[in-house]
Amino acid sequence: MTKRRMFLRMVTASLLRRRSRMLIALLSIGIGATILAGLVTIYVDVPRQMGAQFRSYGANMLLLPQNGETLGSERLAEALRMIPEEALVGAAPYRYVRLDMTTRQQSFTAAGTDFSQITKTSPYFSVEGAYPSEPRQVLVGSGIADKIGVRVGSSMELTYQPTGSAGSQTSAESRAPGAVLSGKAEGFGGGLVYVTATLDGQSKIASVSVDASTQTPEYGGRVQEDEAFLNQLVGQSLPVALGDGVDALTGATVTSAAVVEALNQATAADAAARPRTLNFTVTGILTTGGEEEGYLFLSLQDMENLTGSDQLDVAELSVSANVDQLETYANAITESGGGVQARLVKRVAKSEASVLEKLTALVFLVTLVVLLLTMICVSTTMMAVVSERRREIGLRKALGASDGSIRAEFLGEGLFLGLLGGVMGAILGFVFAQVVSVNVFGSSITFQPLLLPATVIVSMIIAAASCLLPIKRAVAIDPAIVLKGE
Amino acid sequence: MLMKAENISKRYLRKTGGANYFLAVKPLNLELSAGETVVLMGRSGSGKTTLLNMLCGLLSPTEGEVWFNDTSLYRLDDQALSCLRSERIAAVPQGRSAIDTLTVLENILLPAKLYGRSLPVSDARQWMERLDIAHLGDARPAELSGGELRRVAIVRALTQSPDFLFADEPTSDLDDENTRLVLSTLRDYAHERNRAVFIVTHESEAMAYADRSFRMDGGQLIPAADMKGAAPA
Repeated sequence: MTKRRMFLRMVTASLLRRRSRMLIALLSIGIGATILAGLVTIYVDVPRQMGAQFRSYGANMLLLPQNGETLGSERLAEALRMIPEEALVGAAPYRYVRLDMTTRQQSFTAAGTDFSQITKTSPYFSVEGAYPSEPRQVLVGSGIADKIGVRVGSSMELTYQPTGSAGSQTSAESRAPGAVLSGKAEGFGGGLVYVTATLDGQSKIASVSVDASTQTPEYGGRVQEDEAFLNQLVGQSLPVALGDGVDALTGATVTSAAVVEALNQATAADAAARPRTLNFTVTGILTTGGEEEGYLFLSLQDMENLTGSDQLDVAELSVSANVDQLETYANAITESGGGVQARLVKRVAKSEASVLEKLTALVFLVTLVVLLLTMICVSTTMMAVVSERRREIGLRKALGASDGSIRAEFLGEGLFLGLLGGVMGAILGFVFAQVVSVNVFGSSITFQPLLLPATVIVSMIIAAASCLLPIKRAVAIDPAIVLKGE
Repeated sequence: MLMKAENISKRYLRKTGGANYFLAVKPLNLELSAGETVVLMGRSGSGKTTLLNMLCGLLSPTEGEVWFNDTSLYRLDDQALSCLRSERIAAVPQGRSAIDTLTVLENILLPAKLYGRSLPVSDARQWMERLDIAHLGDARPAELSGGELRRVAIVRALTQSPDFLFADEPTSDLDDENTRLVLSTLRDYAHERNRAVFIVTHESEAMAYADRSFRMDGGQLIPAADMKGAAPA
């Protein structure tokens, strides 16, 4: 039998012989380790768990166009790429405009948005009916619905009045005879070519006049007098295209193209300036308890169809991250030069941080208390073991065992208990954390592989520390007094 | 080979009674040399065991020095003193002195095991044979009688093959026959191997096996009459 085997045998024999005591020590270490491992698991998982919970408070980041910039879907997508995919819960774009409800002579703020994202960024939205899923459907805030008496299934006619438009009731498709379009475009050498066209009742060109005085008279300048060139434009539907019923004047192709472009640009400007009306079906009534109840919500596509523009005013983001991370993402987006400015919704982000902080402190405190209790329990047990073994320890010392070997033996026992209790605790701790997580947060947790060695090491340290006082007692045993007689 | 106690005394603090301390062992000088058996007799509480513990390195004297050859025992650190006790000095403590989790043979080999030395198994068996406990090698201490346990402790000390063997009441639980067997074995160990044996006992028969004998009375060491040669062979 080697010395090491002998040592192991003594340790295990001692453990086995005092089964009930050791069971108590093992149980206390095991329970301590279980709570430690469980709480640490929850602690590690809490930001994720709570993050998901917090996200029900709504958006915690806003993306806005930077000064003098516009926010389009491409810029938005670019900015969103700077936030890790797994952290981005949702991103709802918004375009706000005033829309008229012509039949009631009232106007409301309408938001064009992506309904699939709204459910993620604003989970607290309560919809009676359903979110719009198809074009020409609208979600009506309950404030508006009450005011104008619409219900799910009602239809609404909404009109977009561009700024500066006369507010006429003209439909987009037809124009009154004699309407005038005028436009300009760069011709040869950068000189501007002015075009004025009058329309007939079918929105076709009735007559056209061109001012090409900035062009070389022998070449481009000729288009303003060339009857053949000008006449071929009459009767064309707008927009027109060179080569498609309109031929460029020989020797004045650049100026000819400028005429066509000026016409088309005038058409587009005219279209944009004209009020547009679309018919919508109400699919749902929205209740939020907030200002959203005074809004109409429609899809971005419908909004673009109404306003002729796909620009956005703001995007509301729900990001699962702590305040520091949020600030990092926000700064990265703002400073990337993409024309997008990111801002934190401080109220949400800060309250999340403060709740997490308190929870963390609580977990630490509970862990500390549990570890302390474990130490007391193990220490008491080991103290009792030392008392029981006084005579044996004295004898071994009398036979030549050094203080070091006595220390090593008790420390060995303690470390063994710590190892066993630690493994037990790591496994039970995961189960504990899982149960807590499922019951409290309603989601399961992932096993942290590092937790097993960490728990075992901490348990062993706790067990060893608990043995310090008992070891001191054991070493202090005086063989002469102990062996003096029974 | 010499063990020398120089003016050693042991004083214990006493919480009760008139004096605030009491002198268990009054200053004394004693020499043990190789090849002799020394017997110390005396009434209970006379300080015999205290003296024995001081000599075998288990109890440091209040005053004085214990020399092991040229080494002062109590100036050694714990590790060195433990090692010396394990290798050169053996003690048979009073009463029950076996570890219950080990077998009899393992108990006997324990001192060697504590220091990872090669195990003197054949020596152990020989001594067990000599003291008539050879059949108990695999038994557990709990299964043994008091007399058998005493002999286990003595075999353990002999197996250490010490230069100095200290036995505290080695014959306390033994019948007459075994008492003689143990005493003669200890004496022979001293004589045949040229080692020193120091026996503390109540047993007056032990005097017959002593080369020198002392009496302890109230902490004072008093030389007794030379009994050498009076013992049965």
